[in-house]
Amino acid sequence: MSGSFLAVAVLGDAAQAAHTGSHLESLVNAVIPKATAAPELAWAGWILLLPVLSAVLCTAFAALRVKNKLPAIVTVVSLGAAFALVLKLYLMRGPEAAPVVVHLWDWMNFSWGGGPWKSFQADVSLYIDSLTLLWMLFVTGLGTLIALYASEYMESDRGAGYCRFFFGVSIFLLAMSALVMADNLVLLYFGWEGVGLASYLLIGYDYHRPAAVEAAKKAFIMNRIGDLGLAVGIWLIWVNYGSVEFATLFQVFTNATSDAGGWDRSLIPFCLMLGAFGKSAQLPLFTWLPDAMEGPTPVSALIHAATMVTAGVYLLARMEPLFVLHPHAMTTVAWVGGLTALLAATIGMAQYDIKRVFAYSTISQLGYMFMGLGVGTAFGAAYHVLTHAFFKALLFLTAGAIMHGFAGQLDLRRLSGLRRVPGFGIVCWTMLIGCLWLSAFPYTAGFFSKDIILVQAMSQPKFQLLGWIGLATAGLTAYYTFRVWFRVCAGPVSFVSGELAHQTDHAQHATTADLHGAPHAHTGTASHSSHANESHAGGFHPHAPRLAINFVLLLLGLGAILSGIPGIQSLRGQHNWVQEMVYASTAVRASGELHTTTPVAFGLDAHGIVSVFGIGAALGGILIAWWLHRLNRRMADRLRSMLLSNSLTRWLPTSMENKWYVDEVYHALFRLPMWIASHLLNFFDRHIVDGLMVNGLGRVPVLIGRLFQPLYNGLLQGYATTMAGGLVLVLAWVAWKWLGAGGAA
Amino acid sequence: MNPLTLIVLPLLGAIATAIGPSSWARWTAFLFSLAVLAGSIVCAVQFPEWHTGRYWPDANEGSTLKAFGISMQLGGDSVNMLLLLLTTFMVPLTLAGSFSGITERHREYYTWFMLLEASLMLAFLSRDLILFYVGYEFTLVPMFFLISIWGGTQRRPAAIKFFLFTFLGSIFTLAAGIYVAARSAEASGVWDFGLASLTRFGCEQLTDREQFWVFAGLVAGFAVKTPVFPVHSWLPLAHDQAPTGGSVILAAVLLKLGTYGVYRIALPMAPAGAVELASFFGVLGILAIVVTAMICWVQTDVKKLIAYSSISHMGFVIMGLFAFNPIGMQGSIMYMISHGLSTGALFLCIGMIYERFHTKEMDAMSGLARHMPVWGTFMIIFTLASLGLPGLNGFPGEFLCLMGTFVAEHDQPAGYPGVMGPWFAVVAAGGLILGAMYLLIMLGKIVWGPLKVPGASADPHEHAHGDQGHGGLSRDLNVREIAILLPIAIACFFTGLYPRLLLDVTEPSAREALVSFPEHVNAYNAARGKVNPSGAKQSVTLMPSPTGSLPRLMIEQPLQVTP
Repeated sequence: MSGSFLAVAVLGDAAQAAHTGSHLESLVNAVIPKATAAPELAWAGWILLLPVLSAVLCTAFAALRVKNKLPAIVTVVSLGAAFALVLKLYLMRGPEAAPVVVHLWDWMNFSWGGGPWKSFQADVSLYIDSLTLLWMLFVTGLGTLIALYASEYMESDRGAGYCRFFFGVSIFLLAMSALVMADNLVLLYFGWEGVGLASYLLIGYDYHRPAAVEAAKKAFIMNRIGDLGLAVGIWLIWVNYGSVEFATLFQVFTNATSDAGGWDRSLIPFCLMLGAFGKSAQLPLFTWLPDAMEGPTPVSALIHAATMVTAGVYLLARMEPLFVLHPHAMTTVAWVGGLTALLAATIGMAQYDIKRVFAYSTISQLGYMFMGLGVGTAFGAAYHVLTHAFFKALLFLTAGAIMHGFAGQLDLRRLSGLRRVPGFGIVCWTMLIGCLWLSAFPYTAGFFSKDIILVQAMSQPKFQLLGWIGLATAGLTAYYTFRVWFRVCAGPVSFVSGELAHQTDHAQHATTADLHGAPHAHTGTASHSSHANESHAGGFHPHAPRLAINFVLLLLGLGAILSGIPGIQSLRGQHNWVQEMVYASTAVRASGELHTTTPVAFGLDAHGIVSVFGIGAALGGILIAWWLHRLNRRMADRLRSMLLSNSLTRWLPTSMENKWYVDEVYHALFRLPMWIASHLLNFFDRHIVDGLMVNGLGRVPVLIGRLFQPLYNGLLQGYATTMAGGLVLVLAWVAWKWLGAGGAA
Repeated sequence: MNPLTLIVLPLLGAIATAIGPSSWARWTAFLFSLAVLAGSIVCAVQFPEWHTGRYWPDANEGSTLKAFGISMQLGGDSVNMLLLLLTTFMVPLTLAGSFSGITERHREYYTWFMLLEASLMLAFLSRDLILFYVGYEFTLVPMFFLISIWGGTQRRPAAIKFFLFTFLGSIFTLAAGIYVAARSAEASGVWDFGLASLTRFGCEQLTDREQFWVFAGLVAGFAVKTPVFPVHSWLPLAHDQAPTGGSVILAAVLLKLGTYGVYRIALPMAPAGAVELASFFGVLGILAIVVTAMICWVQTDVKKLIAYSSISHMGFVIMGLFAFNPIGMQGSIMYMISHGLSTGALFLCIGMIYERFHTKEMDAMSGLARHMPVWGTFMIIFTLASLGLPGLNGFPGEFLCLMGTFVAEHDQPAGYPGVMGPWFAVVAAGGLILGAMYLLIMLGKIVWGPLKVPGASADPHEHAHGDQGHGGLSRDLNVREIAILLPIAIACFFTGLYPRLLLDVTEPSAREALVSFPEHVNAYNAARGKVNPSGAKQSVTLMPSPTGSLPRLMIEQPLQVTP
């Protein structure tokens, strides 16, 4: 305990020191500088073009039936080159340069007079400021690394599937770069939908499995609901502010003091929020992300953990000048984030699929990011995005390596003691890094970034409850994270190889396993580590990761460790890179850091509370996980069956394992009524609109003809009768009108 | 180049196809359609008025033939040229797409097709109401025969319903047109069916009440052709029963006749009526988008699904047209072009499947991406284009149509007040979600999923490994079929990535069409108590504030910085 008190003391002092005499103070109230045109930076367009190039080449390789690793090489090289360009851009401009706009080519662009409201300008142009660069650095960097990892991971699919996979990755990088670098909302929308498409194509990569197809569809449609919000937001912005270009909009927002001026103007942040919540899997649109784990694991790591899902955070950070104009917008964001974090953590505690646990932890951590934005620390949110990108990508890739090695096995009840299985050392120890970082173990990067957000929440009375929720969630996070690690990596060696039917990224490995003996029965029950391989009943050999996978895991582990540097700097009161980047961007105005010295509770101020309880929650969660899932695994099962046997508590494990029945509720509330309505409308269209009205109208002449038909035989006469009948009727009508008119006169 | 050539060439093609031997018919027709394409490209290159919104050739030049007030005036502005290019682009591809599907009565089929092209050319090039009407109506005859001879099992009822329904509608159009001409003749003493003079007379001289009925009459026919929601029921049946070529040209070009008519004739001729009926058509557009999208959701026949999706998509065009601002108007034109490309291509793709498996039932097939990867790729591209993915052709049109509707309010600061407003757009934008739902469900059923080849034996691998497919065609697409789809795919990407080209050339035309609208819309809104406060939305200052004034922080409690 003395250690944690020491930490409190250090943290408390240092964080206060961070805000003394820092030049950052002057930036807090800065007006966003006006972006200038920078045609000399046109080469930055290659950041978008390089992924296009590799996508085109992958298509060509597919057409040419290339069976080697060429698609992977091309993709890795072009993404690496894109990363190099981003790096060059960053080094040229430094962290605090004024924003620039680089016009590439005209896109949706026309005018009927020029100026606001008299033109519609949405070009393919780049808006480059420090926020853009911060995001681009880790998007392209991680993209390259994960493509490298996938080059080995996907190797059993070489051929058309391999080309398709790397085509999807390239498309994703193109869309994500467009989203982050867009200089207007419509191009951002292009990237927004584009990452949705890439996600759709990659989740449905194993398209012969109906579950994958279903998950892909669900992801796209849920995202589309959010996209609708974004689209409405864009229209409202044009109606209210006359432009969709960031450079113009930020000048307007800077000069505005509130967004008063009609209900539609105050609706804008909430529309954008809907888009962000869809893309970043927050309440109420989070249900697609766990299902997205049907995709190959590198995709889960890249798209559904590190980069794409942070697009919502990016959008809100980018549009922060608009959000701060509305008194309740940021509060809403904070609460949605906090509640999502808690809800997802409770679900994550009760899942058995490793990737699903990590998926729910992603939702939960994204909740923290939104909470950070909402309580007013864009720095905390962006820093958490950065640290999370590293450690979550790392966790997913280790899960992928396990899946790769054990023929698709991901059930944490069926894997144990992997750190003693030869070849899995690096996987297990890098996974430990990821787990420590995710559970916010003291002095890890995850600890720093979470700390900043929670301190910010705690120091404002209206967000204190949210701060406590965040602390409780931190405890849950530590528990479910280490539940995975203690189950899978620690303990006695024992594993069951995966089945073809179960989540197989790698059908081929499972098939080779099948060749050795009866399927589904390769149980390794070695008592001692070094003999694990020889003593398998069925002769199943775990497929240990090779160079590319281990290299990427080590590099990501290193990245995760290094991502703590800004946190340490911040602790020591030095300049830190992330903070500078955020302060020099459009998110500057919401980064007003608050630090109370007044006691919040138990005689401690916000820092003290967050430090004591944060460290306590992390260590407590890890300890409980250690006890239940390492020392005494039977105890965990007994606890579960005890809860299940009691009718009063049965609902708790059942509903947590069933994800609080959110999918079922959505089905009953939306999908089912719509499905019924669609069938009714279809019936209505076929039988009422077409059947009764149209065909009925068509029958009228025939019916009239039928009246007279008995008088005649044959077709011709029938027609003649119809005509005659019609004529008679018309004449009768005319006569009646005439007589009636005459009679009235 | 005289635009008359573009009408004469397909006519000559029809004659040559008809008198030539049956085995030559397809190539004769194809070559003539290529010649028409070349001619239209030459025309487009020569066309001097791309950026002016004026007509070419000038209305007075072509009017040498004149009888009973009907004059042989041909020509058009940029929108005509675009629709012309769409037609001449799609016809050769459609003909090539019919090579394997049409197995009997070749000569008649290709003759009717060339006649169809001729009548479409006439409709898109006429500057005279009667001449337009002749072209517009004559498209029914070849289409009737295409459906009733080469169609599916229910081809007769489908063809008859198609013919009677659209014919009945266009009688109203003709009546309304003749009414305007009669009133014009009454005023000037001379009969003149020239569109320019009729339009001028209609919008300037007719009373609001007259304009209302004229507009209603004109649109009655165009609405059936488009089709607008409650008068659409001929379309699914016609599409379902028509041969592939017929479906393609029906979706790609024939439907555009309806929206073109609204754009070129109904809106400028009776603006007051259009304004009065705008919210009515807005509601119909929403119904089309939302209701038909939901109907799409439960279709089991893939061709019917695409047909219903056509109705849903044309709802966006209607919304954009009745927004009365350049955004919506140009969005509509963009959407007409892009719908022609992507839906036409989808029908071609479905036709290629039908030729192989003789079924269009979605339940009968699954996972065809494995069986026919090239076909699957094209199918995915065109489906994504159809659901409005940015970067493909569907997006600019859809986005601008909805945005135009959204900003069509009485206090709109753009100088183009409107009648509809945000709620129309938001409800219609539900179509974005529904569109994604039914199209992705379609993809999920036929392109993705476990492999199931229709009519194959229980073991799918037998077919998966054989190179020879069904119906005498190769398993995956052959070179001819790729050559048909590839130009459309390129056009889709080009239109999506560089819509600027189309937006630039449609802008003057749209502005011309809208010239009398702000006044009418303001009058209409004022009559309903909605006054247009000048610049109501412009209260946000665009000038930089004086330096030193700090922006307000969101956080309400005072900022405390600990020393």
